[in-house]
Amino acid sequence: MISMNKVSKHYGAFQVLTDCTTQVHKGEVIVVCGPSGSGKSTLIKCVNGLEPFQSGEIIVNGVSVGDPKTNLSKLRSTVGMVFQNFELFPHMRIIDNLTIAQVKVLGRNPEQAREKGFKLLDRVGLRVQAEKYPGQLSGGQQQRVAIARALSMDPICMLFDEPTSALDPEMINEVLDVMTELAQEGMTMMCVTHEMGFARRVASRVIFMDQGRIVEDDSKEAFFGNPRSERAQQFLAKILHH
Amino acid sequence: MAYNWNWGVFLQPTATGDDSTYLDWMLHGLQMTVGLSLSAWLIALLLGAVVGVLRTVPNRWLSGLATAYVEVFRNIPLLVQLFLWYFVMPELLPEKLGNAFKQTNPIMQQFLSSMICLALFTSARVAEQVRSGINSLPPGQKNAGLALGFTLPQTYRHVMLPMAVRLIVPPLTSEFLNIFKNSAVCSTIGLLELAAQGRQLVDYTAQPYESFIAVTVAYLLLNVVVMSGMRWVETHVRVPGYIGGK
Repeated sequence: MISMNKVSKHYGAFQVLTDCTTQVHKGEVIVVCGPSGSGKSTLIKCVNGLEPFQSGEIIVNGVSVGDPKTNLSKLRSTVGMVFQNFELFPHMRIIDNLTIAQVKVLGRNPEQAREKGFKLLDRVGLRVQAEKYPGQLSGGQQQRVAIARALSMDPICMLFDEPTSALDPEMINEVLDVMTELAQEGMTMMCVTHEMGFARRVASRVIFMDQGRIVEDDSKEAFFGNPRSERAQQFLAKILHH
Repeated sequence: MAYNWNWGVFLQPTATGDDSTYLDWMLHGLQMTVGLSLSAWLIALLLGAVVGVLRTVPNRWLSGLATAYVEVFRNIPLLVQLFLWYFVMPELLPEKLGNAFKQTNPIMQQFLSSMICLALFTSARVAEQVRSGINSLPPGQKNAGLALGFTLPQTYRHVMLPMAVRLIVPPLTSEFLNIFKNSAVCSTIGLLELAAQGRQLVDYTAQPYESFIAVTVAYLLLNVVVMSGMRWVETHVRVPGYIGGK
């Protein structure tokens, strides 16, 4: 579904990604982890073309992201994305956050879009909040809405960019539960996250990045059981012991 | 101080012989000031919004052009710009158009030059407010719009501008107030707006205190109206749960 081949990116002289190669198959859940500044977020943003890259190739569902002829908007409308800071549209009611792209991008009729929006809000347990504004919801609720908003476009895969990093500890689980459910339904997912519990439970594979390189790309059993690189061992030792 | 106060002066018929009073003169001036300022403001808002948006787009040519526009109209004194529009511009126009302009009613000539001048001067300042509004949004908002499949123009239209405009209502209020005050500069090319009528009243009646107090009060009242209008706008566009909201 997603295939990356030797993707490299630099800002001026600063190399952010170096020769990143990996595949994500349909139904797989890939967890991307690594120290901050290792290029995880950049890598995931390259997948839907939010970050341009200078060399290599990314193919999403048969479409080359880096090709200047590609209609990026169209591609992005098929790839759901959830951000660290939710990024709901603050001036719209929750339900409108869920319908606007359906109507303006996919051309669905507003009634149909609302119906779908309510259904998705039901699914993340927030139907009663439909008429509120994002600023009136807690962080965890906003992130669940953000997931519902991405799902409203019927994406073929979902990208998560540290979806729980900006949340209070109490709210992390409500978001992870939604993600876990989604994974169990067979959604193809690529998640940048530090939630190793989530990775252990649902990941098919774990990618570990350091200094812009993919250092490990392994099954979760192999990664947690016996990480090959020293850097990954150090990383795991640090984040699993607190 | 031996000054003969005479507030009744406004009700006296003017010395020009027609049956208008000096109060009528003031009201005409007020009308001119309001008409000029409002029409210039509308143009300034539209142009300023476009230029402000262009300053933030990723295309270097477009943003460079917009930057040049802002710098030109913001950095030349308003008075000089007015003289350029009124005295120089008609000569630079293609001959037919220039002549057509010069043959219109002189008041229309003054009004048009003043309106264009105030509109463009203010649009440069509005553009800066719009740009700062857009730039003060969290960068993730643009990404969120794009990630949903919006094109860049759609992202501006549905995601960035609605919030940016809300953020800049307070600074826009002061630009709106400024345009009324700046319109007084247009009296220098002979446009009989409020300030000019005040001066004319002094010439005709030798009652400077009454004239200028009346002018001052009229400007203050105008500003009160504008301010309450903008305050109404501000409360109505407030986003619940967001800055300034409930």
